[in-house]
Amino acid sequence: MPENIPLKEIDVTEKPESPGSSASLSRRKLLEFSAKVSTVSLLGAATLLSGCDDSSAQVSWAENFQKAYRLMSADEVAAAIKRLEARYSEHFSKAVSVDSSKAEPGVLFGAALNLQKCIGCRRCVKACTLENNQSRTEGEETEWIRVLKMEQEPTQQEDAEHYYQSESVPQQNAHYMPISCMQCENPPCVKVCPVQATYREDDGIVVVDYNWCIGCRMCIQACPYWARRFNWREPGLSSEQLNPNTHYLGNRPRMKGVVEKCTFCIQRVRKGRNPACVEACPVGARKFGNLLDENSEIRKVLASKRVFRLKEELNTEPKFFYFAD
Amino acid sequence: MSTQARPTQLRFTHPAFLTAFFRYAFRGSKQYYLWLGFLVSFIPPLLWGAHRQFTLGMAVTGLSDQVSWGIYIANFVFLVGVAAAAVTIIFPAYVYQHKALKKVAVLGEILAITAVCMCILFILFHMGRPDRLWHMLPALGVFNFPSAMLTWDTLVLIIYFLLNLCAAYYYLYTKYRGGELNKRFYLPLVFVSIFWAITIHTVTAFLLNTLPARPMWHHSIMPIRFIATAFVAGPALMIIVFLVIRNKTRLWIENDAIDLLSTIVVACLGLSLFLMLSEIVTELYHATEHSEGLRYLMFGHQGFNELVPWFWFSLLAMLVGWFALMFPRIRKNYSVLPVICLAVFMAIWIEKGLGLIIPASIPSPIGEYSHYSPSLVEVVNCLGSWALGIFMLTILTKGATGVITGAVQWENSVPKGEHSHA
Amino acid sequence: MLEFPVRTLVLLLLSSAMAVSAERDNCFESREGFGPVNTVKTENGESNIRCSEETGAVLWWQDAFEGTGPMHPMLHGARLQKTPPEESSASEQAVIKAIIPTLKLYPVCGTACHNGSYPPLSDNSPRKLVMHMDVVPDASNLQHGKGALWCLDCHHNTQRNSLLDNFGKEIHMDAAPLLCAKCHGNTFTDWSNGIHGKALGEWQSHGKKRWFGCSECHNPHDVVNGESENGFKAISPEQITTKDR
Repeated sequence: MPENIPLKEIDVTEKPESPGSSASLSRRKLLEFSAKVSTVSLLGAATLLSGCDDSSAQVSWAENFQKAYRLMSADEVAAAIKRLEARYSEHFSKAVSVDSSKAEPGVLFGAALNLQKCIGCRRCVKACTLENNQSRTEGEETEWIRVLKMEQEPTQQEDAEHYYQSESVPQQNAHYMPISCMQCENPPCVKVCPVQATYREDDGIVVVDYNWCIGCRMCIQACPYWARRFNWREPGLSSEQLNPNTHYLGNRPRMKGVVEKCTFCIQRVRKGRNPACVEACPVGARKFGNLLDENSEIRKVLASKRVFRLKEELNTEPKFFYFAD
Repeated sequence: MSTQARPTQLRFTHPAFLTAFFRYAFRGSKQYYLWLGFLVSFIPPLLWGAHRQFTLGMAVTGLSDQVSWGIYIANFVFLVGVAAAAVTIIFPAYVYQHKALKKVAVLGEILAITAVCMCILFILFHMGRPDRLWHMLPALGVFNFPSAMLTWDTLVLIIYFLLNLCAAYYYLYTKYRGGELNKRFYLPLVFVSIFWAITIHTVTAFLLNTLPARPMWHHSIMPIRFIATAFVAGPALMIIVFLVIRNKTRLWIENDAIDLLSTIVVACLGLSLFLMLSEIVTELYHATEHSEGLRYLMFGHQGFNELVPWFWFSLLAMLVGWFALMFPRIRKNYSVLPVICLAVFMAIWIEKGLGLIIPASIPSPIGEYSHYSPSLVEVVNCLGSWALGIFMLTILTKGATGVITGAVQWENSVPKGEHSHA
Repeated sequence: MLEFPVRTLVLLLLSSAMAVSAERDNCFESREGFGPVNTVKTENGESNIRCSEETGAVLWWQDAFEGTGPMHPMLHGARLQKTPPEESSASEQAVIKAIIPTLKLYPVCGTACHNGSYPPLSDNSPRKLVMHMDVVPDASNLQHGKGALWCLDCHHNTQRNSLLDNFGKEIHMDAAPLLCAKCHGNTFTDWSNGIHGKALGEWQSHGKKRWFGCSECHNPHDVVNGESENGFKAISPEQITTKDR
């Protein structure tokens, strides 16, 4: 039997205010109903799949009927995390932790990148993949960062090289521009999501609830920075490749058919650590910190360097700043 | 009318109506069965394609992170237009009391119902997780209304579907029962659905053109261009349907009806071409970065030119069709007219299907050019969905002709009933 | 003159020891050729670092502070612009990998060869130094300072294990950025503010951070190497899969 999803023990007072909260009562009833239905079908499925290990089958069944992460009560979050940890640990045969730490008050994350320093080595791209458990199948690797190589002559973005394969970098007369999620304060992707599966956390990180995403890819169309990726197939990730320190809204293993994106390494930054790309950069071009702390490195960049943001005119209010010394 | 039958009218006759309707709809000549069989033959490949896509994931399509919306959405957008275009029959019928069209106005509603069903089918194919569609249900899930344009589109499409379903069912059922239409119920339904037809296509345009990330779409001209092209494709399809009905069933559709539709086609085609020209001139005069998509569509870019022949074929077909249809002699030549209509229909399918959806993603928002062509799975799924839609249209239209001609009638199934209809 | 073969022997021994360790450590952190690092298994069974198979660059650290120690107090104080430096050491945790362990010849430099009196400082004009051609092929043409510098502008002329400040005083080898600050003042200010150079660790302004000294990224003896002349030697990039769809 699956663990009883604590649908009945919802503490109404603890419920975060949400657009759907007025309908929460009826939703709860319906959910209870669907959970019952799922239990019944689950039993059927379990007998059918008796050859397979049924604990993971049960877990994924329960996952199918859980609600949106940010509408979950503390108990429901705990149950969902427990389910996931069990499933991941079994699947990857090593201990996997799923963090659910929340945004801290007084923190608004921002990042900056020194275009003058960037040498286009793509270590950030690879470090991001190692840290965030992106799919790595044969010949195809999901990357959240794309580094553009541009000639120093007057040029348009369309003339940039995306797949440069130089022997060494930096190449003469070239400059490099990594692009990833800008963690917009006014994120177009969030606005267009029909089910609010992607949303802005209080510390300014735009996240995706992988279990809630319906895969319509509207957010991909809405993003002016091409920062979002889709799981076109069941992600390929081996046990050795897996980074077992995960966050529910960050680098936990994803499933087929959902969108994913940079989260400023939420699993790291919520615990005080710099994002992986910032650490991997050999030239220290990437800086990160709390925009609300005037002693932070990011604020010092904003105060002392010439800064611009990409496609500012689109009213996205990016929290990713490009700068030059 | 049929006072003798009145006591029986109290009985619940919907099952009888549906049985009679579909019994008539599925009965026909050998040719008819061949046609249905032809359509059904697309279903096994569809099932294969659907199975592959739902088990292996969207990787079996030609889509990528660069081009993440493809032929499914292209068909969706086009079919929303076809659904909206039902108004080109209903509006003249009920606002201008066009007699010939009023007689067959229900066929317009059937077209709308079918097109919306096809839209839903294409959306299901487009979605990465169709199993999670329930996340949109207002009580169970989260419906991001009014923020997300997609929720607006869902709402207006479902309401449009229900309006037309109610109107068409009520009309056919009442005809079947031989009663009078309750105008207080029926006319408001019709007028709301006329208004609603415009909203569905407007909102679908808003879905795309409210995205500054995609400069190719970011035009305020898109909604009106959508409606103009929809009012070409929809009536063009209806002309073909009407001519088939006229030739193959006992329902005679007046020349008057067909001529009005072809006039609408030629007028709206002219308007569409004008709007297209406006956009091209605006974009290409200075050819800023924002016109990259359009330039890719029209001329290609360093080997990325899959769409170029499609665009020029579409433009040529529209121009030739428009020019030809301006001559009443051609317009009234019912052996040439369907050919032109088919060409124009396909031209619009390209223009606001592939030709609209793909160049928005090529180049990508950060300037990457990539290739997209639909995979085999996408092609069989699209063909299958079209076949299903045309099958549905055929059946419903056949049934409706039965009701309109009186072949399907309540009295017919009651031995003692009086037969009194015009 | 009897000393000469002994010195050579010591050097040979030491360089062979270096070769062995270089074989074992194929990962590097910032610039290639500096500070080879080992992969260590941590208690949860994961490796502490993950290196690129293509280039050997360290891409990912599990523990950012492995092998680090507190920053040299002189440097720490100068960075925070506080005197005396002791006062500020507790205000934030700045750790760094000491340079000295990476300098394999350091223990013998100041004793075996340069013990303070030998060799006699007869000539301060830039010239080729046969004993140091492995570090600087031609000291009269140092690839740093555009012809205005040579060894003894930075290295203390008698205390060879130390560096030289503007007043002839010693700078401890582990406080090397203070030497660089002599010319690169703005860069040192940016570095002190944490907005120049590589950093690992926590993002909070008061958090624990691993700092990188100048020479961990820039080779002071060959800083203009590289086509871009941006102070960072060209390295091979990581490759990504070309998607032709």
